[in-house]
Amino acid sequence: MRKAFGLFMTLTLVAGTALFLARPAPVGAQGGGTIEATVTYAGAPVVEKLKVNKDTEKCSTEALIEKVVVGAGKGLANAVVSVAGAKGTPTGRKASIDQKGCKFVPHVVAMTTGELEIKNSDDILHNVHTYSTANPSINKAQPKFKKTMTEKFEKPEIIKLTCDVHSWMLGWIAVMPHPFFGVTDGVGAAKIENVPPGKHTVEVWHETLGKATKEVEVKAGQTTKVAIEMKK
Amino acid sequence: MLARVRHRGARGAGGGEPSSTTLAPTRATGSCRLASGDPDSTGLGRARPPRRPARRFALGAVLGLAFLLAATTPAGAQGGDAAAGKGVYQKKCALCHGEKGDGKGPAADLLVPKPRDFTTGIYKIRTTATKVPTDQDLFKIITEGMPGTSMPPWAVLPEKERWNLVAYLKTFAPEKFKEAPKKLELPKDVASSPESLKRGKEMFEAIECNKCHGADGRADGPSRPELKDEWGHPIAPANLTKAWTFRGGATRVDIATRLANGMLGTPMPTFIDSVEKPEDIWHLTNYILSLGPGAVKYATLVTVTAASGAIPDDPNAEVWKTIAPSHIPLMGQVIVDPRNFNPSIDMVSVRAVYNDQEIAFHLTWDDPTQSVEDAVKKMYADAISLQFPPKITADTERPYFFMGDGSDAVYLLRWVGGTGVGEAAANGPTKIAPIAGGEATGKAVWANGQYRVVMKRPLAGKDAARPTFQPAVFAPVAFQAWDGGAGETGTKMSLTSWYYLRLEEPQTNRRFVLPPIVAILTLAAMLLVVRVASRTGAR
Repeated sequence: MRKAFGLFMTLTLVAGTALFLARPAPVGAQGGGTIEATVTYAGAPVVEKLKVNKDTEKCSTEALIEKVVVGAGKGLANAVVSVAGAKGTPTGRKASIDQKGCKFVPHVVAMTTGELEIKNSDDILHNVHTYSTANPSINKAQPKFKKTMTEKFEKPEIIKLTCDVHSWMLGWIAVMPHPFFGVTDGVGAAKIENVPPGKHTVEVWHETLGKATKEVEVKAGQTTKVAIEMKK
Repeated sequence: MLARVRHRGARGAGGGEPSSTTLAPTRATGSCRLASGDPDSTGLGRARPPRRPARRFALGAVLGLAFLLAATTPAGAQGGDAAAGKGVYQKKCALCHGEKGDGKGPAADLLVPKPRDFTTGIYKIRTTATKVPTDQDLFKIITEGMPGTSMPPWAVLPEKERWNLVAYLKTFAPEKFKEAPKKLELPKDVASSPESLKRGKEMFEAIECNKCHGADGRADGPSRPELKDEWGHPIAPANLTKAWTFRGGATRVDIATRLANGMLGTPMPTFIDSVEKPEDIWHLTNYILSLGPGAVKYATLVTVTAASGAIPDDPNAEVWKTIAPSHIPLMGQVIVDPRNFNPSIDMVSVRAVYNDQEIAFHLTWDDPTQSVEDAVKKMYADAISLQFPPKITADTERPYFFMGDGSDAVYLLRWVGGTGVGEAAANGPTKIAPIAGGEATGKAVWANGQYRVVMKRPLAGKDAARPTFQPAVFAPVAFQAWDGGAGETGTKMSLTSWYYLRLEEPQTNRRFVLPPIVAILTLAAMLLVVRVASRTGAR
């Protein structure tokens, strides 16, 4: 009996892996296009420093509050790029954010409506405190022994995330009504796949610099590049 | 300040658990009103006198319904009249909370914590698992006030008006109050015991309450200076050793509810899902209550204990623990500018001892930071002073309590952080001059958000500027304190009016020697009488 079960499990696993590897490329399958956005900012990075008076083993002695992060080629990091007004179903994937080194990692997490896994890798107390209007605000303690917790965000909105114990900790949860979004990396690049063909408005949101938009036309199976410059 | 004074009085009289006594009758009247009011309003009972059984049935049904309503939705049963509440609000509440309920009344700038902004629907104190409080929660806060804040208890208003206020407050955030409140279910109660306290301490450390509240609960945690409320105002963590200042009450259920539920709009998070086991909420509650005396009894007289032998300088010496402290409440100085509307130090505990040479004062008070003078950061030295008239006699006329005036000086025995113990003469709060050649000494320690200071000086004053202390003579005494870390300096202080100090009569060995001698002498006299009598009788 046990042997049979083991065999069954192995087969399932193998079959599953094979199916996963062999799955068709989603772009072609759905006939969508790709948007490759580059977000730039000509201004200087804004980073505030704060002397840390506690948990210095985990948090280090100096905290950086990174309000504007600018990388190579003036690329603006941590900006949410999305297709404004798009329709689509939630991905169903559980998004995840970690509290590590007394920082939210990633600094901006974008997700479709649904669940967010919140980790605490620091082995010290954090409290997950959100400031939202559409969703209920939460302020939950996450002591060292509570490594993960899951929160639900049912309504699209961009939510500020803080920790009162370590006041410099700041993160953002971008809850989107559709799956067409990305967050810019260190050089300001973000990729949105499977975008339905047609004319769209690409919207950029940044915590300090606000919003900007640009019109694009997406063609099936093709990649559309869009450059957006953020101004103060 | 007025609010605070009033508040203390009411709490003192109310005793430990005012919630249970005031709330029970409310619910009863609420359901009664519903029962008697409903048939009247529909006119059912008037048109034709119904037959008895039907009437009885109707009454039963209405009563049953009322009971059901009261049991399931205690909040909805009282049904205040929002329109009537508006009038009361404008008279009694708008000064702080603002006409529009946005917490921006004319007095708001002077208050810390700031008055509630009702338009957000965010309330600190709630017993619900949902986001808004029940009507009962709001009624309780209106009735009992919020200890440690400027919100006084409004039990002076008729109960009906308080319910009307509840109804009116809800109209400031109608969207928020649409959702039906759901009662928070607390885990099964665990009574306090040594095991429970041990577990509570363990949890206190594991969930790091100390980060804000401090290792001993005196609100001195490292995160204290960073804490902000929902509106960006600095907010202080609760001093867990002073349960009487807990905003939402200090009963076990109050505390467990705050722990489980958090306090909305503040950094205090919910812990119901963040303790190892649900019953840890109760272990923590028990432990938190064990951190302080629970209730405080303020003194009006400080007794100076007579002692023989040397008096130790060390504030942590064993002898101080043997003396019961007199707790003296302090108020913010609001007589002259700059005023101190939100004093940091609200109490000083005094122990005093004297011997044939010296008098010594041991003062204990909570101060979250040991501050050093730093004018740039608006930080000043912490300080405390005891004030006496320069001459103490049975018929002393007391100088003006606020550090004397132009015609009558006061004598100050004081300790200033970084400087130490010294003596000064004052002719008002801005005219303080150190007295040279002082013999006052002392020592201060600060640990976990608390100062302990010993100040000593000779019993006899060596000149006219210094008082001489004598047993059995009531000496006027007043106190002033500064929390330099909170920006207190000069007239920004906490202070008291005059209290009294009395040196206990010295207890010499005479009481052990004299009575036996008298007894022996009496016995001898009796024996003499008997002997004389028997001799006379024998002749």
